[in-house]
Amino acid sequence: MHDAVPLKARPPVVDRLSLAMRASHVLVAVFVAAGLVFAAVGAAIGDTFFLRLATEALIFAGLALSVDILLGYTGLLSLGQALYFGLGAYVSAVVLKEIPSFWAAMAAVLAVSLVTGLAAGLIANRVRGVYFALVTFGLAQVAAKAVYNTRSLGASDGLIGIPIVPIDLGITTVMSNAPAGFFLVTLTIIVILYGLSAYFLDTPFGRVLVALRANERRVPFLGYSTRSARLVAYVAAAVVAGMSGALYPMLRGFVSPELLFFSTSGNAVITVVTGGVGTLAGALYGSVILTVLKSVIGSWTQHHLLVIGLLFMAAVIFLPKGLMGLVRPRIERLLGGDVK
Amino acid sequence: MTVFLDYLQFVLAPQMITGLALGVAVVLVALGLTIIFGLLDVINMAHGEFYAVGAYLALALGASGVSFWLLLVIVPLVMIPIGYAVERGLIQRVFNSPDRHVTTLLLTFGLGLVVEEALKVVFGPNTQRPPTPITGAIEVMGVILPNYRLFLIVFGIAIMAGVALVINKTRLGAIVRAAAFDRNMAASLGVPVTRVFAGTFAFGVALAGLAGVLLAPIYSVFPTMGRDFVFLAFTVVIVGGMGSIAGAVVAGLLITQIQALSSLVVSPVWSDPIVFGIMVLVLVIRPQGLFGRLGHA
Repeated sequence: MHDAVPLKARPPVVDRLSLAMRASHVLVAVFVAAGLVFAAVGAAIGDTFFLRLATEALIFAGLALSVDILLGYTGLLSLGQALYFGLGAYVSAVVLKEIPSFWAAMAAVLAVSLVTGLAAGLIANRVRGVYFALVTFGLAQVAAKAVYNTRSLGASDGLIGIPIVPIDLGITTVMSNAPAGFFLVTLTIIVILYGLSAYFLDTPFGRVLVALRANERRVPFLGYSTRSARLVAYVAAAVVAGMSGALYPMLRGFVSPELLFFSTSGNAVITVVTGGVGTLAGALYGSVILTVLKSVIGSWTQHHLLVIGLLFMAAVIFLPKGLMGLVRPRIERLLGGDVK
Repeated sequence: MTVFLDYLQFVLAPQMITGLALGVAVVLVALGLTIIFGLLDVINMAHGEFYAVGAYLALALGASGVSFWLLLVIVPLVMIPIGYAVERGLIQRVFNSPDRHVTTLLLTFGLGLVVEEALKVVFGPNTQRPPTPITGAIEVMGVILPNYRLFLIVFGIAIMAGVALVINKTRLGAIVRAAAFDRNMAASLGVPVTRVFAGTFAFGVALAGLAGVLLAPIYSVFPTMGRDFVFLAFTVVIVGGMGSIAGAVVAGLLITQIQALSSLVVSPVWSDPIVFGIMVLVLVIRPQGLFGRLGHA
């Protein structure tokens, strides 16, 4: 019978993608540990500036994460992910001004980004490759211009005076203007978004997305629907970007149309490419590195984009797998040997 | 009836002429984009910055006394080696990467950032405006036409015709079309494909520079001028069909007319959303655009 098969003799079956994902988990665990140390030190010395800067880096890491879900897994470059980020920020701002409740704002953003992602996904997913990049770009431009010209949303000035909200976490309540407290809340949310994305991309469904990136024509022959897979990935990315954006007005107390502009989408793409496409962890590290670079270079020249642009070009040419491409293979070797 | 004629004479016609001048300008920028895409399969995100470099070169050289007519020749000639170097030095490095579209798009996007920032460093962030080389206006059937815009329209159409002639009727154009259609076959028949690629890229960049010279007196010169303008040019290229010269011309003139006329009905601030709305609509209904690709006629 089946009992006769010596199960123990088999080597553990670990495929390359699961192994890579586990390596990403290790990197994120290191990231979280560093974040906790940072928060403890920051709170101990009563720092505000660096904690708030780090919180902002985390929020933009969420946006980069959503770009990586699309670019790293389905292979589709979105040049308009700021659409969902800005949408999340504006919805959150509007809700917070009416009902100062953290959870109400998050729920509203979740609902709005789901619906918008679904609607825009049906449009954007009709095309692929370069055209996808340009459609997403066009959609974001239309939304940005619409917000920019809408008086009731503050037009070019944006919305100011978002109230400070208490964040009721069950065991304790954190005020959104507490530097260390809100940093930890943001870190938790971004890590949850990372965890959900990583889990979702490591399921058999996630493998369909990887297969899509490799060869879109072959996937239907294996019995999978390419359209629904792409749509789900697009909506998931929209939700991740929206939820990250929702945190922005809580940190800054205002939202402006710049959040929807191409520079925001472009920054997220730079972050992902520098950090490492298709690693998820790269989005988090990339965002922190870019924020540090911007403030360090920005302290001696206002033209930091010159340096960042050059570094980015160098990354595209010399480091096509990003910084994670340097680090992650070593961790994979530590975790599982030479499993191919 | 007179109300209608007055409307035609004082509102509609000037608006359409302004739109036509913008259209010709956009087509000049879009032509370079579409030729580069048609041949190299590369989305040049830095194209708008090359247009800005052309305008700044015109501004700087013009300020040191070079006449406008000479600039129309000098600036494109200066842009050619720049474009050639960018293609050989940057684009060729990632040309054979697995996902060429995305990688080259990212690389040129980075290049655009760097160039734009460099322009800010060298020339400062302020808006500058070179003097209009042809002043005055003429009146045709009661419609006032500024001379410089008329010149722009005529000159631009001449350039478009010239480009179309070179690509479609000359031996050089045949080589370019052959390389666009099947680069391996063209290479095996003795076409120096690498040089054709770099040369075509340089040619597209030179066209963008020329557009910069021509437009500086009308739309002013500022570091982000390229970014604002290239969005429109991208729309034109997509609507016309990526890689199609006829498509770029038709779509460029069509879209700018829609933009000009729609701003009579709705507030001009909505002209950008309208244009991008058209782009998204065309992409959804007919992703390949109105016309076919270069070399695939």
